[in-house]
Amino acid sequence: MLATGDIMTEQKPNLRWAYMDHWRIDTDQGQVSQYSSLERFDAFVKQIAALGFEGIETFDFHLGVIKELFGTLEDCRAFLQERGIDRVLSLFHAIMYDKRQSAPHVRETHDRIVNYAEYVAKSAAGLGVENLIVMPAGQYHDLEPVTDEKIRACAEVWSRVGKVTLDYGIRTCCHHEFYCGIHHAEEIRKFYEWSDPRYVYWYCDTAQHVIAGVDPVDLYVRLHDRCGGFHLKDTHNVDRSGDYRRRPESEVTAPTTRRWFWEMGTDEGLVDFPALFNAMKEFTYRGWVSVEHDKADFGGGNYPESTAVAAWYIQNVLKKIYA
Amino acid sequence: MNNQIQWAYAYNQWKYSWQDFARVDDNLRALKVTSACGFRALELCGGTGPWNPLGRPESIALNFGSAAKFKLALQDCGIDAISSTFYDPTLLSFEELHHGLMPTRIADHAAILATARLHAEFLAEVGGSCLVVRPFPAFAAEGALDAARMQAGADCWNTVGAMTRALGLHTVLHIDALSALRTTEELDQLLGMTDSACVNLAIDTAELTIAGHDVVDLYRRYHARVRHFHFKDALAIDTLGEYRLPNAERAMILAGGERKIRRWFSEMGTPEGLVDFPSLLRAMKELRYTGWIIVESDKGPQPAASGMMLNGWYLQRVLKPLLA
Repeated sequence: MLATGDIMTEQKPNLRWAYMDHWRIDTDQGQVSQYSSLERFDAFVKQIAALGFEGIETFDFHLGVIKELFGTLEDCRAFLQERGIDRVLSLFHAIMYDKRQSAPHVRETHDRIVNYAEYVAKSAAGLGVENLIVMPAGQYHDLEPVTDEKIRACAEVWSRVGKVTLDYGIRTCCHHEFYCGIHHAEEIRKFYEWSDPRYVYWYCDTAQHVIAGVDPVDLYVRLHDRCGGFHLKDTHNVDRSGDYRRRPESEVTAPTTRRWFWEMGTDEGLVDFPALFNAMKEFTYRGWVSVEHDKADFGGGNYPESTAVAAWYIQNVLKKIYA
Repeated sequence: MNNQIQWAYAYNQWKYSWQDFARVDDNLRALKVTSACGFRALELCGGTGPWNPLGRPESIALNFGSAAKFKLALQDCGIDAISSTFYDPTLLSFEELHHGLMPTRIADHAAILATARLHAEFLAEVGGSCLVVRPFPAFAAEGALDAARMQAGADCWNTVGAMTRALGLHTVLHIDALSALRTTEELDQLLGMTDSACVNLAIDTAELTIAGHDVVDLYRRYHARVRHFHFKDALAIDTLGEYRLPNAERAMILAGGERKIRRWFSEMGTPEGLVDFPSLLRAMKELRYTGWIIVESDKGPQPAASGMMLNGWYLQRVLKPLLA
């Protein structure tokens, strides 16, 4: 029985769910992107929405084709909203890491990095973008030896970028691939210590950190006030042989491991998602949480099934811990 | 009304060949996909052979231990209920050592009843409500129905119906696009010869559309006898009467017939789809339908999850609001 004056209100969830998009679709022309036609994009969006996701994340190089398909980004967002997806939450900033033009550890390239990030942030208006996600350094083999000075240079440029993108309402979030120049625990610690906390956020990619031998739960506890979001995905392998150093790109060409990334909910998964969610609950994380399936089609898998299995894990395991 | 319609998904789109999809863990993963798409109940599909862990009660017992343990395994996957089981007696059976039984053949009735009982007893044990059966073979098998075959079919399903009634279940007749039963006149006749207390009708929206029927009209005509639905969309009508082709399952459905139809069935909400689901649901609401609606992929393209997700979206965003 409610006492007089009590108000019954539905509790607003702390978390909203988004999906980072790497899909490809089987067609008579082979596998193609869902951005190749409005019909394919429509089907993609409906599938994601059916599983309870309310946002999508994509790569910044899709902005052009989105404009082709919809005319304006506002029209794209309206299309998404009609189907149950509120916004394009984040853009993954695809940079050509190269010392000649865009190498965060090379200060001579910083102006170009800042200008390009501003161009993307400006170009994204209308989609509801909240985050620009970046790998904060090039591949490890491009930086070796990874010195404090190089980490400081990276921290400087992303602090500049973060200040600029915030003018467009977009946070700059750093995402540490296991082959990124900044991926060991100590490198990450220094990077966040030396970057401006007002402008540089951490995007917690659970699988990437575990592959790199870093506990993402421990990292979250230490960096929770810098956390801009999550890419929840699992892995079955830790890099114990220094694959992160391998050319050309260890994420796809490492001889030890054909498929690094798996959806949440596989028996062999190494990420302790319940522990992470308990930590998020303890620190009262509020905001978006994203699921990512990167190369889920390697070895006969497919994106829709991986996404549905991850959604099952959210509905039946994670939401019971923290929602 | 809304609370009296229950939604389930048919479990027939995952297995593409005899020996694939035989592992329990693959099946559990498929059940999780089903649940994640918003479908928390399942229609089982009767099957045969050692590669079909959910196809027969004894396979379920072998793989899960018992019916009770099977239910617990389903619950772990987010599946709360079994709605029904689909049983097609015309398919071969390794267990019963035949290459298909004919409801139109009196000599086959005892064997049909025995297998139907096997499925029905299991269904009753797990709390299901409908045994969904293929009442007649394909037209190509024996040609058009004559009075004797019609009577034999009615007798067969009355016997099965009485058996399921004793178990607290209904028998529902699922007429497909290739069925020997083609017309509403034949359907009138069949329903007149069967016991409405235990033998009723399942409407499969795609199968009957392909067969040339308007399923909304059909439902309005037979609503008092309709106790089950299969919801899937159809992309073409069999205007050439290719159900008559020898082995029409292969020649018409799989090969596409003379017009090379690439795909007869599709997910609800496909722009080219021929079934008017909103009109059908409005009619069901008006005529106070209660019972299960089974959403079905049935030969959808790979990956199977994709079709289920699209059906899940259509159900959540289009159909359920119509029932609100």
